[in-house]
Amino acid sequence: MVTVYSKPGGLTTFNIKDGFVEALLRGYKLGFLKDVDYRSILQCDNLSDVKLNLQETDYGNFCAEVQQVSPSIIREKAMEKLVAEFEYLRSQADYPLAQFLDYITYDYMIDNVMLILKATLNNPNVDIFSLVKQAHPLGQFEESVLKSICAFENSAKGYGELYQSVLIDTPIGKYFAKFLEEESAKSAQNANDVQNLLAELSATRLESSLRKLYLEDFAHFCETLGGETAEIMLNLLKARADATAINITLNSFDTQLNQINTRKSQRKPLYPSMGFLYPEGTEKLSEVGDENDLASVLRTYPIYEEIFKSHQGQSNEQTIDDAFYEREVELNEMAFEGQFQYAAFYSYVRLKEQEIRNLVWICECIVQRRKDRTSDHFVPIFSKEAKFRNRNR
Amino acid sequence: MSQAGGQKPAANRMTLQTFKARLGGASKGFKLLKKKRDALKAKFQVIFRPAFKILSPTCSRRLHLPALLKEIVDTKLKVGEGLKDGAFSLAKAHYASSGDDIASTVIERAKRPSITTKLYPDNVAGVSIPLFKMSYDASKDSSAQTLGVACGGAVINAARETYRKAVVSLVKLASLQTAFHTLDEEIKMTSRRVNALEYVLIPRIEDIIHYITQEMDEQAREEFFRVKKVGRGCASSSSPSLKTEVVEKKKVKLQKEKDEMAAAGKRTEAAIDAPSMLATKKDEDLIF
Repeated sequence: MVTVYSKPGGLTTFNIKDGFVEALLRGYKLGFLKDVDYRSILQCDNLSDVKLNLQETDYGNFCAEVQQVSPSIIREKAMEKLVAEFEYLRSQADYPLAQFLDYITYDYMIDNVMLILKATLNNPNVDIFSLVKQAHPLGQFEESVLKSICAFENSAKGYGELYQSVLIDTPIGKYFAKFLEEESAKSAQNANDVQNLLAELSATRLESSLRKLYLEDFAHFCETLGGETAEIMLNLLKARADATAINITLNSFDTQLNQINTRKSQRKPLYPSMGFLYPEGTEKLSEVGDENDLASVLRTYPIYEEIFKSHQGQSNEQTIDDAFYEREVELNEMAFEGQFQYAAFYSYVRLKEQEIRNLVWICECIVQRRKDRTSDHFVPIFSKEAKFRNRNR
Repeated sequence: MSQAGGQKPAANRMTLQTFKARLGGASKGFKLLKKKRDALKAKFQVIFRPAFKILSPTCSRRLHLPALLKEIVDTKLKVGEGLKDGAFSLAKAHYASSGDDIASTVIERAKRPSITTKLYPDNVAGVSIPLFKMSYDASKDSSAQTLGVACGGAVINAARETYRKAVVSLVKLASLQTAFHTLDEEIKMTSRRVNALEYVLIPRIEDIIHYITQEMDEQAREEFFRVKKVGRGCASSSSPSLKTEVVEKKKVKLQKEKDEMAAAGKRTEAAIDAPSMLATKKDEDLIF
């Protein structure tokens, strides 16, 4: 792990190194779509109108060369814009901000590695270029790395080889190393269990473990940065860890992970070892068998109880994912309130992603002529009409 | 008058019999086929509905919208709705799974199909129609169950359910459409046969029979005329014995013919309205 050479300055010294970059960031913040923009997009009847409307906003001519606009193309182009902005920020950044920004990309690298692994597991001759297209642009690898990942074979040794040859050089290699350690520890105890796992289950475990290790690592890094950055980032990362834990529990009800004998051994290791729910909450969560148990566990955490209620309510419109997204947006917006810290960069990326999600959802609704359902999954960003700002009215 | 080919069949009793047999067979067949066509049509009930836009292109009866077609129209609408719902729920799933495209992941995970269809032959009014039966094996779905464990699992499952329902209607629609096509073809074919029999074959045979009987009547009349002439010639000539012999021979021959004709059918009796040779005045005895 790279040692941190300096910390972000406080009130008086932050601007020396990172002032310019933060200014850039604040500029980008103004580029978020506002309520009025969303409203005008909602008035459109087809995607070329949407494209025209977007030209007025910060997105400008992002879809200029594309003849036939579709929701996936809009997503692609919007992602490109985000990546361009991010790359520019990254190129202007100095340590430790650069390191911080790199940490943000590790998340997407994990996504990409999982994508390639899953594709290769099921189809050894998968076309690498189509995969590269689907990969998240913020987490790019070099092509040679990608090709070697494709040559991976599915066996207990396979993961080890993959790590040795390829991943050890990548930033997420360390997460893989830890995962393999845990795997081998387990296989020492019970070799049969490892064999009997379905390929899907082990892929899920791999992904969850990588994700959790990443979160923990990132949190540790933020702690070393100290100051306001640490405060705000830990808040955000803990919220994310809790969301992961609750989601895993909720979605495991119909699967193998929910059987009593496997709950402790297989589901519990998937929970991150951080967050507001850790350690007592996760302990209780690991024993939960169905939704009522989950509800009773969450009763001691009022915020999550609220969120869980949306799952139990009408499940047609708002789902629990929406509630989690809303909470995330709320926390991320708060990050922008303070200055002289790095959390704003992280929040910017997350909020931009949410905006892209909103945009794609609206486009899908328009294409499928279901404009009445747009508000199901739409979370306004930096908006006075956001739910959390109006909660106590 | 039938212009059937250049060859007229020989005009005698044998051909007459043959053609009469053919006529009998043809009319029996015609009655049976007509019954079959009516039965098949009855499968399609007659309800008038102005829903032409959604008709399948092979509908050959534009005035009456059969109940089968109505069912097809309803099922098609249902399929459209189902797929629309499916696409919408897929969009939701995309949103819920952090905006990523889950389609590729789903395709990569798919191994054995959990929905299978079998083809059964069904018998309707003598026509064998193929029917699709769908069977859903939920246990084979397990490969996709852990798809959204980290986030969005519930929505992905909801999307899967919606699509499965759409597939049920799709299979039903497939069965209905194949049934409709097959029945339509069958009805067309039967109608063609019925019409052919009614307007072409049977009249042709009837014409031929008519022609034969006409020819036979003419032949009988010719014979009669000839015999009369010969008889008159014999009466005025000098060799009575010769005349007698000739006359006797003619008489016998005629008698034979008359007997045969009488046996052949009642139609021929009408031809012999001419006075019978034997019933009129006796010829004077010839004295040598």
